[in-house]
Amino acid sequence: MIDLLLPALIIFLLLNLAAGMVRVARGPTAADRMLSALLFGSTTVAILLILAEWMGEAALRNVALLFVMLAAIVSLAFFGMPRDDADDGDEP
Amino acid sequence: MNLAVDMLIGAGLLVLAWQTISGRSLFRGIVLFVVFGLTMALAWARMGAPDLALAEAAIGAGVTGALMLVAFRRLVRIRPDQCAQPALRRSRLAVPVAVLAGGLVGVIGLAVVAVERDPALAGLAVTEALTDSGLGNPITGVLLLYRNLDTLLEVAVLLAAFLAARTVFGEDESRPPTPARREVPLVGALLAIIVPLTILIATHLLLAGSREPGGAFQAGAVLAASGVLLVLAGRLQPATALSAGPAFGLTLGLMLFSLVGLAVMAFGDPLLALPGLWAVYLIETAMMLSIAMTLVLLFAGASGLRRSGP
Amino acid sequence: MSASEVLASLLLLTGGLFYLAGTVGLLRFPDVYSRLHALTKADNLGLLLVCSGLSLLAGTWRAAALLATIWLLGLLAATVSAHLIARHARAHDAAGDKR
Repeated sequence: MIDLLLPALIIFLLLNLAAGMVRVARGPTAADRMLSALLFGSTTVAILLILAEWMGEAALRNVALLFVMLAAIVSLAFFGMPRDDADDGDEP
Repeated sequence: MNLAVDMLIGAGLLVLAWQTISGRSLFRGIVLFVVFGLTMALAWARMGAPDLALAEAAIGAGVTGALMLVAFRRLVRIRPDQCAQPALRRSRLAVPVAVLAGGLVGVIGLAVVAVERDPALAGLAVTEALTDSGLGNPITGVLLLYRNLDTLLEVAVLLAAFLAARTVFGEDESRPPTPARREVPLVGALLAIIVPLTILIATHLLLAGSREPGGAFQAGAVLAASGVLLVLAGRLQPATALSAGPAFGLTLGLMLFSLVGLAVMAFGDPLLALPGLWAVYLIETAMMLSIAMTLVLLFAGASGLRRSGP
Repeated sequence: MSASEVLASLLLLTGGLFYLAGTVGLLRFPDVYSRLHALTKADNLGLLLVCSGLSLLAGTWRAAALLATIWLLGLLAATVSAHLIARHARAHDAAGDKR
């Protein structure tokens, strides 16, 4: 039963991701596209964890750990740190 | 069920690859590339290659995605017209190259399907020999005991890549110094948690690499990711001079590996025959530091780094 | 099928539903800020439920601790990312720039 549930859940999450792709395609802003990348990150982590249990491969949990640990890097790079140019949104 | 999961991941990879390069907008391509990396890690996981999934996670999530986004930000500043441009013109070579590549993949695929599976005698012998050496992870074992010259040369290639890139860094001296960056709330907290954790995880991957998936390359990439984080947050600023510390870190792996590899000859062993498990750990640690240092400097696009900020 | 397996299945299924909710929110909500809410909140709850379910299945303390760490790091990453993305979006809204 569990052996059926785990792959079914993986397929469900993968289809979920495929639906999320629509947002990458449609945008409209860069922030929206970045958000979809976030969705992909957290869903991939869940899929990896389920795969680890299903395949009995404990090392995949470490892969998930790396992804979740480094997930913020992409957002930080996207935002950059605010500089004194046009893309700084702070009030002076 | 297995087949459905694998087909979905495979189809996803193809669609993502196509969408990434079909280039409706540059930024969209970058996001899709990041997503492609995530899916690729799933594919490695399904193929039973957690070592590669670890490397993909560390490099893809920690370095390349950030590198492309930073490059995009710089491109927006210096060539705004190029980013807005909707479609890149397709090269006339694209179709022939695609056909050739497809044909090649097809031929190799058919050849692999047609190959009769021999009982893998070499693999069995290696696994047996590795159990005696005390290395439980066959990948680390093969990399350091059987392909040691390749591994040494890979470290050398990384150093060569840095030296080659350095010739381009020179132009950056004309660039005005980065303005002081203001702190964004939460980023300090993020650094305070993630940076120590990456050091812990890198050490774990390095030590565990002798028994389970992990090793110097993965550990080095994780360490590099924390360096990238510090560069992005402005805690490490690019510097033009290569100071002693980074220079030592850059060359440590190559130096220590060659030194140990040569020293064993004095005892009558062949070149690069590692004398024991301690040597494996020593060399892996040195390689981890070198790999991390090289990647961070390449990411920063600078010969050196200096600390700044709190 | 033991009681813990039943509980784990329930947790996993609920987790999957929260992921679905996050995706629906991402697709259907009108602007970046509300999409941000849909995604970071629903997905993290989904991750918590999936992690709890998997800890029950794995049945070792080591795995459970690792899964808990992963969830906490997920919370941290989502918090910081949501903050940074929202700040970026606000900056561009203020500038009237819809890149």
